[in-house]
Amino acid sequence: MALDLPTEIVNLRRGLLAMGAATERRVEQMIAALVEGDIEAAQAVKAGDAEIDAMEVELEGQCMRVLALGSPVAHDLRFVLSVIRISGDFERIADLSRGICKKVIRWSGSAAPEGVPEPLAEMAHATREMLADVLAALADEDAERCREVRRADRRVDALNKEVVAASRATIENSVEDTAHAIDLMQVAQRLERIADIATNIAEDVIFLVEGRIVRHEK
Amino acid sequence: MTTPPTPASTADATHARRPAIAPHGVAGAAPAPAGHPELAVRAAGFNSWYGQFHALKDLALDIPARKVTALIGPSGCGKSTFLRWINRMNDTIPGARAEGTLTLDGGDLLDRGMDVVELRRRVGMVFQKPNPFPKSIYDNVAFGPRLHRKHSRTDLDELVENSLRAAALWNEVKDRLKSSALGLSGGQQQRLCIARAIAVGPEVLLMDEPCSALDPRSTASIEQLIRELETQYTIVIVTHNMQQAARVSDVTAFFYEGRVVEVGDTDRIFTNPANKQTEDYVSGRFG
Repeated sequence: MALDLPTEIVNLRRGLLAMGAATERRVEQMIAALVEGDIEAAQAVKAGDAEIDAMEVELEGQCMRVLALGSPVAHDLRFVLSVIRISGDFERIADLSRGICKKVIRWSGSAAPEGVPEPLAEMAHATREMLADVLAALADEDAERCREVRRADRRVDALNKEVVAASRATIENSVEDTAHAIDLMQVAQRLERIADIATNIAEDVIFLVEGRIVRHEK
Repeated sequence: MTTPPTPASTADATHARRPAIAPHGVAGAAPAPAGHPELAVRAAGFNSWYGQFHALKDLALDIPARKVTALIGPSGCGKSTFLRWINRMNDTIPGARAEGTLTLDGGDLLDRGMDVVELRRRVGMVFQKPNPFPKSIYDNVAFGPRLHRKHSRTDLDELVENSLRAAALWNEVKDRLKSSALGLSGGQQQRLCIARAIAVGPEVLLMDEPCSALDPRSTASIEQLIRELETQYTIVIVTHNMQQAARVSDVTAFFYEGRVVEVGDTDRIFTNPANKQTEDYVSGRFG
């Protein structure tokens, strides 16, 4: 079948941004579940995972077709490579969100802990902001905004350390809360991973725009 | 910047007093003479005209030795015109003239007193359509060497074999060297033309869309041959096939409307070109 490269690139772009929007929605629902205890939102994230997986597979297939039949070069080539990487990143973010939601659902079935600690809630919001920023930067191909996203990751790392320290203190002071404290650390670790992946996406967008691999630059 | 064109019936040069290119070795076996510098062809402030038509404008382009340089660009952008100045093929076109600097190994290519027969020994050309002489395979390859000097029968046999081997054709034709070259397939004929070009021991091989009349398999064999030959020869190839330029060349120069818009390592031109026009052209957005 004939392939019109410019049309395919537009389609890929549309598909990637749609997947980004779906991923962002999952993260918002996950935060609603985590911070506000919205169990319905948690269930929706769990149920919606298959949709994200399907989007990733679809985009990967499209990329393979474009590479095989369209012989993209320059920006087009970098874009196709970025789609493969970024769609995989979105899928990982959705997976991590699902993992957090599964914990929230489990908490709801037991003696409900009263909310989440403030640093963890702040971490969740900061992570969501990073994702929103990187999606906007992807849509606009804005490398400068991506550099801001990379810097924002430090704040999330610092909050993660706070959560871990607080959880350790909880374990030391009240043994009966150990299980929940470990859960909180695991949730923080997943949020920190989501922020790391948002940073990876920012680096992929810089590559897309400037043709430079900055992943391993400090 | 450029002087207005003046009527001229042959290729012209403004540097007639520069020394002509020194004769280069003798037409021996196929390998090119070693020791030529890293830069083979240099154009600077180079302009050319066909009558009133200003075909090449203030061109600056360095072609590295023993590498493959691809000239790309839409039809009419001047890439073939530039190629044809390198071995003075434009001399045969009435009204064609050029000014500026164009050198081979430091020698002035525009020198009016130049021995163009000797130049064409040093700078071979392979055309779009294979053009073997209506002679035997052997005589096609031996034609150039015979023209340039007298060879013993044994020397000539050896030279023909070496040239055909270098053009990756020997195994296919060794048992029918006396058969007509016109009986070969298109791809074989093109490799024969390459063998014919290298039989006279050139330094530079110019290829003007050498695969555009060939099927994919013959194209692949010519492309492989180009990669093998680049260790010994400076190759300049004009191609409309972007993927071919990407596959075979080390350096790519993008021509547009008689100018070199961008030149650089092929890797970079096809992954991260600096110029928007180059980007649009290699991506198939125009041209």
